Amino acid sequence: MSIEENVVTDNELAFLRDDPEMADLFLAESLDHLGTIEAALLALDERPGDTTLLNDIFRPFHTIKGNAGALGVTSVQEVAHRVENLLDLARSGRHAMGPADVDVVLRAVDLLSSMMRDIGARLKGQPPTDLEPAAQSLIEVVERCISGQGEAPSPAVAPPVHAGAKADAKTTTETASIKVDTRKLDSLVDAVGELIIVQSLIQEDPALATRIDSRLAGNLGQLKRITADLQRSAMALRMVPIRQAFQKVSRIVRDLSRKAGKSVELVLSGEDTELDRKVVEEITDPLMHMVRNSLDHGIEPSAARAAAGKRQQARLALSAYHQGGHIVIEIADDGKGLDTEKIKSKAIERGLIAPGATPSVEEIHLMIFQAGFSTADKVTEISGRGVGMDVVRRNIDALRGSIAIASEPGKGTTFQIKLPLTLAVLDGLIVGVGKERFVMPTTAVRESLRPQPGQVHNVQGEPRLVQVRDCLLPLVALGEMFRLPHQGDPSRATVVVIEDGGSRVGLVVDALLGKQEVVIKSLGETFGAVRGVAGGAILGDGRVGLILDAHGIVALGRGGERRAA
Amino acid sequence: MNAETTAAVSRTAGLAGKYLTFALADEEYGLPVLKVREIIKMMDITEVPQVPAHVKGVLNLRGKVIPVIDLRLKFGFAHGDVTPRTCIIVVEVVLSSGPVMMGIIVDHVSEVLNLAAEEIEDTPEFGDRVCTDYMKGVAKVKGTVKILLDLDRVLGTEDAALRAA
Repeated sequence: MSIEENVVTDNELAFLRDDPEMADLFLAESLDHLGTIEAALLALDERPGDTTLLNDIFRPFHTIKGNAGALGVTSVQEVAHRVENLLDLARSGRHAMGPADVDVVLRAVDLLSSMMRDIGARLKGQPPTDLEPAAQSLIEVVERCISGQGEAPSPAVAPPVHAGAKADAKTTTETASIKVDTRKLDSLVDAVGELIIVQSLIQEDPALATRIDSRLAGNLGQLKRITADLQRSAMALRMVPIRQAFQKVSRIVRDLSRKAGKSVELVLSGEDTELDRKVVEEITDPLMHMVRNSLDHGIEPSAARAAAGKRQQARLALSAYHQGGHIVIEIADDGKGLDTEKIKSKAIERGLIAPGATPSVEEIHLMIFQAGFSTADKVTEISGRGVGMDVVRRNIDALRGSIAIASEPGKGTTFQIKLPLTLAVLDGLIVGVGKERFVMPTTAVRESLRPQPGQVHNVQGEPRLVQVRDCLLPLVALGEMFRLPHQGDPSRATVVVIEDGGSRVGLVVDALLGKQEVVIKSLGETFGAVRGVAGGAILGDGRVGLILDAHGIVALGRGGERRAA
Repeated sequence: MNAETTAAVSRTAGLAGKYLTFALADEEYGLPVLKVREIIKMMDITEVPQVPAHVKGVLNLRGKVIPVIDLRLKFGFAHGDVTPRTCIIVVEVVLSSGPVMMGIIVDHVSEVLNLAAEEIEDTPEFGDRVCTDYMKGVAKVKGTVKILLDLDRVLGTEDAALRAA
């Protein structure tokens, strides 16, 4: 039986296997459509019977069914077909879509998404996941909905509203877009970067500097403006609205609030705030974790809310906005707030706070990001196992972002995540050692100083420690670490204090040469992992500068691997 | 033409084609032109720490960061001074991870030769003393011998060596 099934599934993918490009397109497009459907379904929940929305759901389903049929992916075609039948009835006003029906269609969206991912995996030669039982049970449920014996009758549903009456303006403002391979984008960004370097080389060419010519100066100015515009546009191409991440959150709020029997109003703002596509992808999971957490721990059950004199319906606000080259995402609930005392006792119990220490409230709150930390008395289906928040912290660190908590007992908790707009560009401090130049991410730099003679202490005859106010920090000489032909005069060296994960070291360099925004480039797989180096960047004069990896350098300065390179 | 020669020619038939030849110390080498992306003059190379000596570092090829290998050091020749004729051949090689652009430093490039199968011979057996893994064959042209390189092999070992480093 299982052999037979394998044969069937293989046949199903015969077309796609022959044409990998078509397969990629089909999968990407279908997942896109499923995203559209999901958004429309969530809106339909609030405005049942809105025919514009029903059409927005029906059309992509139809497209998926058609494409799947044309490509011979029968399993997908079958599921899409059944759901389409249900939607068709709703569209023609013969079936009212209640919350139960929306649930069913959402389940279908999930199932189809899994099927798409499964097809992708199978095409790569990975073993298939058996989704057949799920598909069968879904089809049964859909059939039951169609025959009018839905899981829960929904009398509250309004009759279909005429299209256009209060139709949402949002659906019409969608801008036209095309899909572009990210590699093409990257090569455009590369080329623009080079253009800017050449432009500045020409602008500062000594041969031109001696010429006083207003027409030439005017043209050069024009060239500079246009290249700067071009750079901005090229960078903007990678940016997408955060909407996609927010949408996933809406879905989870809907599902979880129902499961937990809590009534929650989700307020979204700033969905159009743009940031790097990669950041949006990476932040979605942490966001969902945090919202799950807020729903489970933050927001009290309705009875408790009533007892506390609060509005029964809880409020969860998710907002995004730009702030000085960063994007800030806030998750605010009006629940019971963090229990500072409970966290503190838990932290002392786990040895995270030394007995007798008096950490500030903020410091205590940040403890919830420690691995395995949970104050939940009971483990629920939603959360409470103490995994999650540490993962959130790690993900945000990996995005070079930061997180802060503001919590007031009885009033609620606000998480504030601050992220760079893009992962492609880094704000760097250019440091020099001998004739080499390196880029240190400014996020890791705490301060820099010219040590006075008494400030540097020798260990075993070599300068190994620097005293910065009350702290003794280990010194790492960049030239020594990279075995550069170091020519600088040690007494005139500069120490850059860098921090990673709470520990600091002093990095000894010859000079600070300035600040620059650089585009991060990988050195390529050829080099694998070079300790202390995070990548390469093209500097203002066209040379490649190595980007330093604060994490590696701090580990080197603090750990036993000193000079193990 | 006897049977043995015919067999040898058919073995090297797949190697016939255009080759870019270049000099390294006093030897002449060739590599298939289809592998060559461009030839640039010697330029500023940024050193990368913790890599073998023949890996000179990385350079900026119009916005792309590519690794540069000194072929002299790679093949165990003495270090050569940079002359006005020294140049970097940018090649595209296929490594385990996929196609990658790399620069190789050579003493000077000579010419593009159209080699027929008859001019190419199998790599001779040198015994254990010479590693011939990255030779495709040798060509005799106008009395000189040119060593034809299998670049994917030459630079492919680079890949492994670097990662081990």
